[in-house]
Amino acid sequence: MLVYSQYAIIAALVATVAAAVTYTWAVFRGHQEVVAASATKQRPRVLVGSGDGIDEFDDLVEEPAARPVRNSGPAPASLGRLGSTLAWIALGLLTVSLVLRTLATGHGPFVTQHEFAVSTSWGFLAVYLIFEWRYRARTLALLMLPITAAMQLYALSWSATADPLVPALQNSLLLTTHIIVAVIAYGAFAVSFAAAALYLGSAWLPESVAHVLPKPAVLDRLGYRAVVIGYPLLTLVIVLGAVWAEIAWGSYWTWDPKETASLVTWLIYGGYLHARVARGWVGKGAAWLLVIAFASVILTFVGNAFFGGLHSYGVTR
Amino acid sequence: MSTKVRESTSVTAGVPGHVDHAEGGVDVLDGLGQRRERPGRSGDLFGPVWRFLISMRTGLWVILLLGMLTLAGTLLMQASPEAVADPATYQAWYEAGPQLKYGGWAPIFSALGFFRIFTTWYFLALFGLLASSILACSINRAPRLWRVATRPRTVMTDAFYSHAPLSAELDLPLGVAAATEQVAASLNNDRFRVLASPGTKKEANLYADRFRWGPFGTVVAHLSFVVIMAGFVVSGLIGFKDDSFIAPVGVPVEVGHGTGLTLTALSFNDSYYDDGSPKDYVADLVLSRDGQQVARQETRVNDPLRFGGVWFHQAFFGVGADITATADGAAVFDKTVPLQWKSTDGQQSIGQFEIPSRKVSVYVIEAASGQVLADLPAGTVALEVHKDGVADPTVQLVEQGKSTVIDGVTYSFNRNRQYTGLTVSHDPGSWVVWLGSILLILGTCLVFFFPHRRVWARVRANADGTSHVQIAAPLKRDPAFEPDFAEIVSRITGTPE
Repeated sequence: MLVYSQYAIIAALVATVAAAVTYTWAVFRGHQEVVAASATKQRPRVLVGSGDGIDEFDDLVEEPAARPVRNSGPAPASLGRLGSTLAWIALGLLTVSLVLRTLATGHGPFVTQHEFAVSTSWGFLAVYLIFEWRYRARTLALLMLPITAAMQLYALSWSATADPLVPALQNSLLLTTHIIVAVIAYGAFAVSFAAAALYLGSAWLPESVAHVLPKPAVLDRLGYRAVVIGYPLLTLVIVLGAVWAEIAWGSYWTWDPKETASLVTWLIYGGYLHARVARGWVGKGAAWLLVIAFASVILTFVGNAFFGGLHSYGVTR
Repeated sequence: MSTKVRESTSVTAGVPGHVDHAEGGVDVLDGLGQRRERPGRSGDLFGPVWRFLISMRTGLWVILLLGMLTLAGTLLMQASPEAVADPATYQAWYEAGPQLKYGGWAPIFSALGFFRIFTTWYFLALFGLLASSILACSINRAPRLWRVATRPRTVMTDAFYSHAPLSAELDLPLGVAAATEQVAASLNNDRFRVLASPGTKKEANLYADRFRWGPFGTVVAHLSFVVIMAGFVVSGLIGFKDDSFIAPVGVPVEVGHGTGLTLTALSFNDSYYDDGSPKDYVADLVLSRDGQQVARQETRVNDPLRFGGVWFHQAFFGVGADITATADGAAVFDKTVPLQWKSTDGQQSIGQFEIPSRKVSVYVIEAASGQVLADLPAGTVALEVHKDGVADPTVQLVEQGKSTVIDGVTYSFNRNRQYTGLTVSHDPGSWVVWLGSILLILGTCLVFFFPHRRVWARVRANADGTSHVQIAAPLKRDPAFEPDFAEIVSRITGTPE
């Protein structure tokens, strides 16, 4: 069963990459259509980011009559839908992989670096797809899908052998809740990073390219909504970790590297939430904080493999 | 009629429930235009200090500075608590580790306290500043939150209705009273509490809100940080933690630390998976007080023994040597010496004990499990006796069950005995931390999942007997309110959205 779990991950990676390519192509086609439309002096001023269409695809679908120019290639909207379908397929394959792994090992897929990385890529994709469904911000996929694929590749670089549960990890309630919450929090933070990176990109790229992205105000709010999900969850992760540490190691806080790295991440996101209120930190400053904060998330994520300490489980390549 | 649903003019989207000072906002209750000069308030007695403490920027910088220092603590080697407590241990650790790893930077880092960041004065001072700032902010903002929740403003200005990010205007074929009722009914339908201000035949104003206690989540969450920090302080000052408590199997050991308890490990078992990794460590522990058994449990890593606030955690284990030492007919040492350390080549297990009255320190050396050493056959220990003031130690081999005399002391090696290593702790501070954690989770949920929604409406009579209804809401405290607002409006007009 472990073998099938591995196949499923590889299939998911393929689907993720295919989705990433499709989305990029879709955005490019959208860009082409807008350029073409404006070339014929018909400027369907793409309501990027307001109304009910959050970016390129939706609004162009609403205005077929405004495109008399021949476009060579599929419509961006249908490419967008294809990309979305591929992403959902990838999520399904990841879910299958994780379920098979759980059945094979008898515990949640959270113990080895390999398992944790697959779970995290699931988290990235799941939260992204929720955001795509609720807010229709498909351009986030331009960053979210490559990040997810990178995480899957990272997972595949670790040995897939199922390490049995050492005594310290034999607490299935806490093992499951502590890490599931972490995985979802990481997903939310990845989305906030994607929004922030696109925000900064839209300021830095020329308008002729940046117009495919949602309005900065929308990206800013997306990033905030993602942190609103991730921050309480990260708080819960740290609290659950402290509870578990007290039970297993006799102390709720020992400045263990992974504990401390997660505290750094929590502090930076806390700083971001305060920055949104302090004058002068809105917009670019806040977006940079989100980028730095996500770097901290990655550091926390890989930390237990490299820092040693009490968290270094399952670190055989 | 139209439902204009506009985005707010500036991208501030403040923290839910937070009273923010950002420009371009619409919500006049958020203190815009009202600067902070409030003469006569007690806070202003401290003037600049108070303003510093309640400033959002202070909070932001303290958080980020703490983040940076904590990051340094993650990336740089940190001294163990023992090394921090004892300069000699620190020096030994420093020379063996940081000095080699960081080269020229090591002395600078060490002088700055970077190898013990979490106990430096500036780290602790930052936490103190954070706690003070949180308390000051809470004291500063709580009255305002209370007013907004209990005595909200019910009449708003024209400017509000024209600039609100969510607004709608419509005409109803009803008189003012009836129209107001319809508006109220629609709001009630969405479980809003509605407060009407006394109106006239020509105009009525009402205010409606939901989750008015939501914003207090910020106060609860922030105060919980202070509670958690207090818990850390209590943990540091009261209670004890012994993470090298040795319980040789079958030998009662006093727990100490004023507990009056005696612990005996009846057995210890370690089992392994096929690949050699550990599967289970279980110690059968018995606690007694005054000769009476008070607790017994199979203790595992994730299943500590708890009694009277004292926790016993399965932490490590090993093999020890039962050594007895007598001098002049009296026993001066009779304990299991845990062979906790390994020689650098891994071939020998080493333990150590002292006999202060004889001014000696003795190393007990045995072949490590599975090792076959020519000069240390199985069942034999080497005793290396170091005497104060004597340069060279005396080394003697002793077989199990036999004795040897070194410098007037008879040392006997009785047998090997397994021991289990426990972490024994009593931490009243942890309850404070758990209380704070619960408050933190509650507060966070309140803030993020129950945002305060507020709607104002104004009904004015038209010349022809119909009523003109203006209804508006701020968006900042709850960015997801849009669709609900649209629903409320459509219910007022009676048309499905």
